[in-house]
Amino acid sequence: MGLLLPTVLLLIGLVLYPFFYAIWLAFSDKAVGSPGQYVGLRNFIYVLGWPQFSTAVMNTVVFTVCAVAIKFGLGMAVALVLNQHIRGRNFFRAFLLLPWVMPAFVVYLVWRWLYDPLAGLINYALMDLGLIAGPIAFLSDRSTAMASVIVAHAWRNFPFYAISFLAGMQTIAQELYDSAQVDGASRVQQFRHITLPGLYHIIGVVLLLTTIQTANAFEPVYLLTGGGPSDATMVYTMLVYVMGIVNLHLGQAAAVSTLFLPLLVGLVLVVTILLQRKANA
Amino acid sequence: MREPLSIRVTTYTLLAIFVFLVAVPLFWMLATALKTNKDLYEDFSYLPTRPTLQHFVRVITREDLLTNIRNSLAVAATTTAVTVVVSAFAAFSIVRYRYRGRDWVGRLILFKYLLPTAMLFVPLYAIVVGLGLGNTLKSLMLTYLSFTVPFCTWMLMGYFRSIPPELEEHAMVDGCTKIGALFRILFPLSAPGIVASAIFSFTLAWNEFLLALVFTSDHTTMTVPIKLSMMVVGDQYIWGQLMAGAVLASVPIAILYFLAQRFVVQGLAAGAVKG
Repeated sequence: MGLLLPTVLLLIGLVLYPFFYAIWLAFSDKAVGSPGQYVGLRNFIYVLGWPQFSTAVMNTVVFTVCAVAIKFGLGMAVALVLNQHIRGRNFFRAFLLLPWVMPAFVVYLVWRWLYDPLAGLINYALMDLGLIAGPIAFLSDRSTAMASVIVAHAWRNFPFYAISFLAGMQTIAQELYDSAQVDGASRVQQFRHITLPGLYHIIGVVLLLTTIQTANAFEPVYLLTGGGPSDATMVYTMLVYVMGIVNLHLGQAAAVSTLFLPLLVGLVLVVTILLQRKANA
Repeated sequence: MREPLSIRVTTYTLLAIFVFLVAVPLFWMLATALKTNKDLYEDFSYLPTRPTLQHFVRVITREDLLTNIRNSLAVAATTTAVTVVVSAFAAFSIVRYRYRGRDWVGRLILFKYLLPTAMLFVPLYAIVVGLGLGNTLKSLMLTYLSFTVPFCTWMLMGYFRSIPPELEEHAMVDGCTKIGALFRILFPLSAPGIVASAIFSFTLAWNEFLLALVFTSDHTTMTVPIKLSMMVVGDQYIWGQLMAGAVLASVPIAILYFLAQRFVVQGLAAGAVKG
């Protein structure tokens, strides 16, 4: 039991204590270097009345829903392709995993450069192909910034969906497909009635974990746009960073992250309930 | 059984598209790092016309990236060493002993999995500053344990469960102590799992961004991710050096991953199935 002590101390000191400390901070006017007084709901009232907060809520929801949908679709397509009898399957599986093996910060720096309006590859290639007349400022135009951040994030994270789904597909018995084929079931019918039901459990776990991770993404926004242009990509983690670390309003920053806690719990519940209903249906 | 032609055509077409989508950004990172500035900003070309290592030399001499690489290595290595020892003992204790409160540790680990770092970095920042550890590598070595230890404990619990306790019991009948059996039987047999957990904790620490951004504030204490991100912020065009730095930052992780792929897959599988 003594062997467990360091882990327990670490979990208490670095997870539980900060968690409750965050909630206390949200009710205080603590600043770096001063002890901080209890101020009741003042931080919450301030934050809720602030337009930037509702922008952040909206952006976080848009980012999470779109990114998860794209990663899910792409991951499923890649898994289906890799599950076929293709030559050099091991090589392709390792290769398509590369975005996820690369450090995330490296990926977002590369994408920032790909999107560059003056010398970036995407603008050059699109102009070369005659698809656009002049360069697009992907990351500094309000209409394209959010989509650009989502694409970069999806590129880096789809392989996790792909390998999870592929692992699940390989546990489904081949006999099921064989007898479906004898019965004349089409590919699409086989996918709907054999593959998808066989993957429900894995889909559930993957969606649950990645929805939480996606809603808390910080690096793609910080490294690509910094939350701009004029808050078009301001997600809540970025807002917490700006308020707490840049402006040093620890109490308000903690209030924002505390307000997001029910939203996260809600997300987790919705995903869980949807999946259970699907599994029981 | 051969697939119908239409299915095979679709499969290989999709595969080609996926390979292209994954390859382009990777190729562009390498190509940029090897191009001359003339190729980058004046006469645009898809391939480096005169490949050069000047950006690698410059990012090391002008930006002093070696200092940051040293910082990243120190933080990742220290974190990994502490994590492996602490997690191995914790996982052993949870898997092989029965006592009250054991389940609570498991629940706490799961809670940490679901609790976002975004919730924790503000209080952790206040704590780090309060401890007088602001702008030190020690602050990172300490706080990184908050995610590496739960992750590796969870993984090793799965691994240890897959090894029958009878082996240790036999060793104890032969006069080994419980701890002796741990070192002579369980740890050697779990070597692949322990290597995998070490690789994961090294990778997590090497890649960590948010806490490093918040806790460190000058060049001498910055890790590689923060240093590179600071190089972008200015409006100067140093993409050659940045991509050279990006290559230097990802190569160790890629090598580690591919060398140890077998261990990693085994370790993950054990953690996932038995966990």
